[in-house]
Amino acid sequence: MFYRESGDFKKTYQEDGQTFPIRFDRWRYWVILAIAFLVFPFFMNDYFANAVMIPFLVWAIAALGLNILTGYCGQLSLGTGGFMAVGAYATYKIMTAFPGMDMFSVIILSGFVTAGVGVLFGLPSLRIKGFYLAVATLAAQFFLIWLFNKVPWFYNNSASGQINAPERDIFGIVITGPHATPLATYLFCLIVAVALAWVARNLTRGRLGRSWMAIRDMDIAAEIIGVNPLKAKLSAFAVSSFFVGVAGSLLFSVYLGAAEVTDTFGINVSFMVLFMIIIGGLGSIFGSFVGAAFMVLMPVLLKNILVGGLGWPTDLAAHLEYIIVGGLIIIFLIVEPHGLAQMARVLKEKLRLWPFPH
Amino acid sequence: MSTQNNGQNDKKVMLDLKNISLSFGGVKAITDISFNIYEGEVRAIIGPNGAGKSSMLNVINGFYHPQEGEIWFNGEQRKGMKPYEIAYQGIARTFQNIALFKGMSVLDNLMTGRFTHMNKNLFYQAMWKGPAEQEEIANREFVEHIIDFLEIQSIRKTPVGRLPYGLQKRVELGRALAAQPKLLLLDEPMAGMNVEEKEDMCRFILDVNDTFGTTIALIEHDMGVVMDISDRVVVLDYGRKIGDGEPNEVRNDQTVIDAYLGVSH
Repeated sequence: MFYRESGDFKKTYQEDGQTFPIRFDRWRYWVILAIAFLVFPFFMNDYFANAVMIPFLVWAIAALGLNILTGYCGQLSLGTGGFMAVGAYATYKIMTAFPGMDMFSVIILSGFVTAGVGVLFGLPSLRIKGFYLAVATLAAQFFLIWLFNKVPWFYNNSASGQINAPERDIFGIVITGPHATPLATYLFCLIVAVALAWVARNLTRGRLGRSWMAIRDMDIAAEIIGVNPLKAKLSAFAVSSFFVGVAGSLLFSVYLGAAEVTDTFGINVSFMVLFMIIIGGLGSIFGSFVGAAFMVLMPVLLKNILVGGLGWPTDLAAHLEYIIVGGLIIIFLIVEPHGLAQMARVLKEKLRLWPFPH
Repeated sequence: MSTQNNGQNDKKVMLDLKNISLSFGGVKAITDISFNIYEGEVRAIIGPNGAGKSSMLNVINGFYHPQEGEIWFNGEQRKGMKPYEIAYQGIARTFQNIALFKGMSVLDNLMTGRFTHMNKNLFYQAMWKGPAEQEEIANREFVEHIIDFLEIQSIRKTPVGRLPYGLQKRVELGRALAAQPKLLLLDEPMAGMNVEEKEDMCRFILDVNDTFGTTIALIEHDMGVVMDISDRVVVLDYGRKIGDGEPNEVRNDQTVIDAYLGVSH
């Protein structure tokens, strides 16, 4: 009754092409944004910000980035961790070299640096496809980690080999460093995540996004229709790496405050982001967020239920958590191989006809 | 061959292929073939299996680069162009095995066909509101004409993977038409269709030729169709040209009959 297209007439192509064609979806979208911006800040405390919302937002940005490359353009990448490290180290170098720069500029610049590196490592994609490309990007992962460990210039010759985020602000509000409030860091990450999701949606709905999907679905036909495979693939690598770089930058500067490249940006990070988009849904903006939510929030939720609710010992809960999350991943992939986004799509189709499915 | 460029004929040569030879290693796919396509005509390429018809189309739209011979398109000789550059010159095509973008809706497939007519850069697209959206809407309007023309309004938002074969073929024709090509190459547009679908497809091909004035080159095995809708026919066999002319001439040509029926030499 409430979830209908009927009565919601589209009179222009502009209306027909909007992101949420159903009125209920549009309302829900604005309500979620309102809650995130207007309600959550009142409840923001250290735990909610640092254990739940900020990691969710940061990993969602990384998942968005990889989804553009793998989900939309069909280029499998295992170098996400390495590219996040590029973003983080770029942020560190920019922050220490230009102390007066505000955090938005720092993050955007780091994104552009990562985009450049991504294009460089994307060049092999013109010759190799599928698993072979995955191996090539895996090489990028290991090379980048090695580079950041090996060359002291990247961590300003610090004795520990770690990088530490100095205190920086925007308009006088401290965003990084030990004095940043959970509210400020949360809102900062939220603004960046919403802005990037909006950009991702815009890029994927238009000419560029269609050229990516064309390359993914049928590269020969794409070329016949005028898509330059070089441009399409490299632009996908650039945009994807930009997003991943911003995620790495936020992870280091806003969330962790300090990073050691092998621990923070290792190969397991690449796999985790890949799992996010596979579970969430390849080729879906919404899927990137759900996938990140699943991988980040599910362990937190389980821990709260097992330790906080049932009073189990922490070590037992931690092990059981792995088992349950692993099991859930398998169950979800069997039930719906196209991810949670596809599940949502099927649900919408059904809801549209409910309660008379015929 | 005497009809080309002799001044007495008012038809303009759009595509001129001169002495094309193509080989893969030791295998000769095409041997010394010359023919031309006039502006505004429907040109059929026929021949038994393995005659080199599809290779010929692949040469025309730049997938294969022939070892010998010249290709002239609209009075300009083509040199080492990539397929996507040729798309910008105004050549579009459909494939023998459907090559649609399976993960996209019909509308998105057709909009991808407008690729060469859109040029807003990454920055505008990231902003969306403004130039990128205007460009999108302007092209959407054109695509809607194609949708009307092909009578596929009801499946506009359906993912192409869900459509039956006949409709997929029609959408693929639509995608090629969306590019507003000067020359349209159709590789077996009617393969695997029933009589009704074939009639529809014939109607669309002739309508395209009539209303948009698009020049069409098609490969087809259904001789009835070929003889009905084409203005001129070129016949290939074993990579060589064995006949060229109007349907009636070709039909009565002894070499052509031999190639199709097979004779003992």
